[in-house]
Amino acid sequence: MNYFEFTNPTKLCSGQGALDNLAYELQILGASHPMVLSDAMLEKIGTLKGVTDALSEMQIGRIFTDIPRDSSIETVNRIAKEYRDFGCDALVALGGGSVLDTAKGVRLLISQDVDDLLELMGCECVPKGKPVPFVAIPTTAGTGSEATAVAVIKNPGLGIKMEYISQQLVPDTAILDPRMTETLPPRITASTGMDTLCHAIEAFSCLQKNPVSDAYAIAAIGLVRDNLLRAVRFGSSRQARWAMANASFLAGAAFSNSMVGVVHAIGHALGGVCHVPHGDAMNILLPAGMMFNCKKCRDDYGELLLHLAGPELYRKTPKQKRARAAIEEVLRMREKLHRLTGLPVTLKEAGVDPAKFPEVAKAALNDGAVIVNPRQVTYDAVIRILEVSYGN
Amino acid sequence: MKRELQTQVNALILQVLFRGFRVLYKHDGRVRKEMDAWKDGLTLKLVCGPGGAVLALRKSERTGVAKLHRAQRTAITMRFKSVEGAFRVLTGQMSISEAYAAHFFTLEGDIYQTMSFVRCVEYAEAYLFPRFWSNRILKEVPEKELSALQVYALALLENGR
Repeated sequence: MNYFEFTNPTKLCSGQGALDNLAYELQILGASHPMVLSDAMLEKIGTLKGVTDALSEMQIGRIFTDIPRDSSIETVNRIAKEYRDFGCDALVALGGGSVLDTAKGVRLLISQDVDDLLELMGCECVPKGKPVPFVAIPTTAGTGSEATAVAVIKNPGLGIKMEYISQQLVPDTAILDPRMTETLPPRITASTGMDTLCHAIEAFSCLQKNPVSDAYAIAAIGLVRDNLLRAVRFGSSRQARWAMANASFLAGAAFSNSMVGVVHAIGHALGGVCHVPHGDAMNILLPAGMMFNCKKCRDDYGELLLHLAGPELYRKTPKQKRARAAIEEVLRMREKLHRLTGLPVTLKEAGVDPAKFPEVAKAALNDGAVIVNPRQVTYDAVIRILEVSYGN
Repeated sequence: MKRELQTQVNALILQVLFRGFRVLYKHDGRVRKEMDAWKDGLTLKLVCGPGGAVLALRKSERTGVAKLHRAQRTAITMRFKSVEGAFRVLTGQMSISEAYAAHFFTLEGDIYQTMSFVRCVEYAEAYLFPRFWSNRILKEVPEKELSALQVYALALLENGR
């Protein structure tokens, strides 16, 4: 590659008390009637109240919590209509990937003055529209959606997860407050943490990789290596939670610029066809995806060993064996998380029916992530990765 | 002057690509399978930079693809940001994957359906460029189901409209 682009315009407010600055951040973005998007669970456990309390000086235009785990185009269209009906002038998204991606879709509709998200499908084709201040507050440390120009939204009609890629999707501000993730159960902490690791590894090895995205990816891997197991074991450790939130942001910024590859292509398809949670799918598929790409990514994976395992193992491992050792390091981390939380490591454990593999493979081949995967992804290759990941 | 020349070369290669698609629809089972799976009435456009050459297509049940007028709105539009970028891809200096990675083009429309079109372009490139060339730009060169010479000969006889 002799040309690359990199962008990360999101203002990052990260650390203890970050949420307390929410009202100020909205005010300087010119907002006075924000719409708050979240989900029913976060409302029930009181996380949403933390946000509404932080907005007590402002008039909230509307609170919408009816967002399902896999948000859909219909949900996005409905929320955009409510945004207009209630005279809102900004978006605050509190939640995991589904809530954040829903907010991105809503922002796209409002800024372009369009009613149906299907009209805005594409990649880097939407011009700057009406400003819609947008603050993202992730409650998982995994998707990195608060730092990306990507939204994945389900099209129930086609049974697939559709990708939207546009600079207009990137939030103005991301608030990473360790209080937002400290109630996350160990199993979800593990699953979303492996999603972060997968973003960083794929970002570091895809065709679109560049020196800046590499720096973000490497920083993310180091934080995951040092903090994921700690966050799983000691959920109330704010240091570990904060480190994982930062890792998620860094990995998000990395893959937003270098994109992800075959692991995500198959993961999106598994989510669409078999409803496997995204982080679980990443955890299951990552080693097989790395094995598949190893032929083309040997040097990159070899370099990653240093960041996955630390300098001692890296120094002891002969150069030609480092890529393999990096994959083994991922397998080791996966095994530890499995023992601690029961996070599935095979598609069999995740309850996937192998009869669905052809449908998953067809959907994976049409995922945009395939184009930047370093190795050509064929139908047979996807089937093989699925079979290996099933536990065969 | 250089830009005008590149636009003319782009237009010529788009014409070869179009004829190549029609030949491969008839003679390469993989391309036929891809195009048959396209939504009925699907329309696509390849725009080679501002003011540059354009190839506008629609799915045809008989020939795989048929031409549309360049001004017609299409469901999918791949738009190169510059004539030079399109020239580099069409002359095989870089692959379509590399061009995507380098943000050389934007896409309006369904990414899901576009991936099938990208695979068709890669099949066509495997026939239209010499082996050593396609080895350089494609991640993996697909097996040919007929010779490149046959494809070129049949493309010459193909209706270019």
